[in-house]
Amino acid sequence: MDLRLPSKVLEHIFSFVDSNEDRNSVSLVCKSWYETERRTRKKIFVRNCYAVTPEAVARRFPEMRSLTLKGKPHFADYNLVPDGWGGYAWPWIEALAEKSPSLEELRLKRMVVTDECLEKIAASFKEFKALVLTSCEGFSTDGLAAIAVACSNLRELELRECIVEDLGGDWLSYFPETLTSLVSLDFSCLDSAVKLSDLERLVSRSPNLKSLKLNRAVSLEALGSLLRLAPQLVELGTGSFSDKLDQEAVSKLSQAFSELKQLKSLSGLWDVHPEYIPLLYSVCPRLTSLNLSYATVQMPDLVELLSRCSNLQKLWVMDLIEDKGLEAVASSCKELRELRVFPSGAEDLDETNVAMTEQGLVSVSEVCPNLESVLYFCVQFTNEALVTIARNRPNLKCFRLCVMEPFSPDHKTQKPLDEGFKAIVEGCKDLQRLSVSGLLTDKAFQYIGTHGKKIRMLSIAFAGESDLMLHHLLSGCESLNKLEIRDCPFGDTALLENAAKLETMRSLWMSSCFVSFGACKLLSQKMPKLNVEVIDEHPPETRPDSSPVERIYIYRTLAGPRLDMPEFVWTIHKNLEIGVSNLAIE
Amino acid sequence: MEGCPRNKETCPKLLDLIPQGRKWYQEEKNNTDQENKLELRLAPPGGDEEATSAMTKKKIETRNNTKKEAEDKSLFNLSGNHFSPPKNTTYNPHISLKRTAPGPVVGWPPVRSFRKNLANTISSKLGNESSLGGQVNKSGDCEKQVQPSKREGMFVKINMDSVPIGRKVDLNAYNSYEHLSFAVDKLFRGLLAAQRDTSGGEGEEKPIIGLLDGKGEFTLTYEDNEGDKMLVGDVPWQMFVSSVKRLRVIKSSEISSALRFGCSKQQKMRA
Repeated sequence: MDLRLPSKVLEHIFSFVDSNEDRNSVSLVCKSWYETERRTRKKIFVRNCYAVTPEAVARRFPEMRSLTLKGKPHFADYNLVPDGWGGYAWPWIEALAEKSPSLEELRLKRMVVTDECLEKIAASFKEFKALVLTSCEGFSTDGLAAIAVACSNLRELELRECIVEDLGGDWLSYFPETLTSLVSLDFSCLDSAVKLSDLERLVSRSPNLKSLKLNRAVSLEALGSLLRLAPQLVELGTGSFSDKLDQEAVSKLSQAFSELKQLKSLSGLWDVHPEYIPLLYSVCPRLTSLNLSYATVQMPDLVELLSRCSNLQKLWVMDLIEDKGLEAVASSCKELRELRVFPSGAEDLDETNVAMTEQGLVSVSEVCPNLESVLYFCVQFTNEALVTIARNRPNLKCFRLCVMEPFSPDHKTQKPLDEGFKAIVEGCKDLQRLSVSGLLTDKAFQYIGTHGKKIRMLSIAFAGESDLMLHHLLSGCESLNKLEIRDCPFGDTALLENAAKLETMRSLWMSSCFVSFGACKLLSQKMPKLNVEVIDEHPPETRPDSSPVERIYIYRTLAGPRLDMPEFVWTIHKNLEIGVSNLAIE
Repeated sequence: MEGCPRNKETCPKLLDLIPQGRKWYQEEKNNTDQENKLELRLAPPGGDEEATSAMTKKKIETRNNTKKEAEDKSLFNLSGNHFSPPKNTTYNPHISLKRTAPGPVVGWPPVRSFRKNLANTISSKLGNESSLGGQVNKSGDCEKQVQPSKREGMFVKINMDSVPIGRKVDLNAYNSYEHLSFAVDKLFRGLLAAQRDTSGGEGEEKPIIGLLDGKGEFTLTYEDNEGDKMLVGDVPWQMFVSSVKRLRVIKSSEISSALRFGCSKQQKMRA
């Protein structure tokens, strides 16, 4: 008796399986399940664009409608990856244009996207609906115009913190009058002003517009007229918040804000003048997400605003909020799930500004039961505070602490922060993402290796004492997927001892550590499923095996060596003796 | 391989890339108590490198030959003091691990460049807005003729010797040095008293006077947009407002040493 389900039935069943993690499991059951699953998967996530070739992806998933691609390693955000390293979108777009012309959505993160890419997208994908570019670069506003003019079914166009060559605001005027499907528009990272009348017309013919994030050049007055045209907005990113408005304009704007009955998320708020903060009061009670990280608002005004946000779940703010402000936030915003506190003055490292300390975070951890994600920049911390936070919030999933002065000890006891982080990893059993800072010995990493069993992403800088540190992590953290390390004093041993671990991880980044060129070569030779990239902007004339390398990026891949490496990236496939290659990028 | 117990003998490795590595590693583990052997000194290039452990000796020798630029970006640069990891876990509290003037480190603190550029505009906004005068750096706002912005806040940081908490003042709220001096008194009087209280002093609030004439216990100084440190009060108010970046209230007894490190423009001007 043939017990196999007919593929049509399987297909129907699989159509209910949403998560790709589940789909991956499904595809491993047997050949027919693999085949059926792959023919029905629509949303594909490739979290390292060099792990697999675009052709292989297109071949495996013929029904692909949505592709998410990530390029550069995370530390590229902090300028640790030299320009020209890679992460080019073009090979993907070219391949998909030919093999997956029904593609509807493209989400790219940390990739190099050129105007040619955008023009190719506009020309090739007839049903194209969504383009979301996060931390991308390489294109100009001309490319945006190409998308605007051609994609007649466009729903989403979002540019999140991209570096764009800004040739003016004309691109927006290219959206045709027939385009009425817009749901989300984010041009907050662009500099030039767009033509207000064109923007107003676009908004008024987009009844489904739910998310609108303006750039800084959009004035407060212009905001008013836009809000009146789109009272259905769920997400709003304002422009500059500091024109001089007369009384009538202020009250009209206030009225416009109070009409935003669906608004849940607010961002932008550049140049906020304290006088205009009350304009926001009417939307506060409904807000679940508030990004004040560009708003130079002082503590008393912040508290006044946040005291009205009783439903807030996500808060991004600058350290202008001070400990006092966070205490107040804690008592007003009991639903808080995610808190990010960014530094306001990058040059103030030499000053002990004790208005913002560990105490602020402790207060929030005490009072907000749902707090699970933290990013916190400050100048000092203590083990006691970490222990308290861990005790208060065992439900933490993401804990990123940046004590801004490297090697800072517990400022009360002068001891390392080992015990504090021990409490965090011991207490927060579901911790998936961890960034450590401050003075840390190998012991800290022993604790992390022992207890951090669910940690998937770990970021480390200026810490540890020896190879033991890396060994503890690679041998202990079972779920480790991404590890990024800079300026730590370990060498080859732990890396080579735990080489097999690297195949179970997506990637490992190490910069300014003491790994030698010889170790990189050995690793490359023995581990063919990994790409071991040595990234050296200043390679020596000759490269003996014992010489340390500047940066190493190791990632598992099915695609083999990449063909687009710049000169300063070495892999074993280049000339072994010379250590650098004359290959130039095309 | 994942979650291998620490005892290497019972856990077969998938790959043993170091021929003698295992043996080496066993030795290392036996020595975990003697952390000296694993000690890597964080010293500037050419520093106490002879003292480092045998394990890294080879590397140290060759590292001396490599370009310094690779190291410049590393932690070597950061530790102006010779910091050595502890023998046990208690650190010598006298070792000052905070540098007074950290050199620029690439990518630290880990703030996105996008946010860093904004941070610069923020501090210049908080520091010195009216020097931007009529230029607004957003091309879209070119019609906007900005009057030296009275309506926007012009915040500068102000610190006071012996008071750990700094504050920010909005210079647009004042129109004269006297007015500013009065505000400084209001801001810091309580804080100073609290400070003195904890250090065993009287704790009563005394007004902070004589900030401008050198006659009081404290004197008001500022740092201008060229980094020079100056006494407050010499130049016309508007000129002061347009060039001040931050303020500092120092002990009058320390005026000469405080100003020494800025090349004093006032000395130049008077000459």
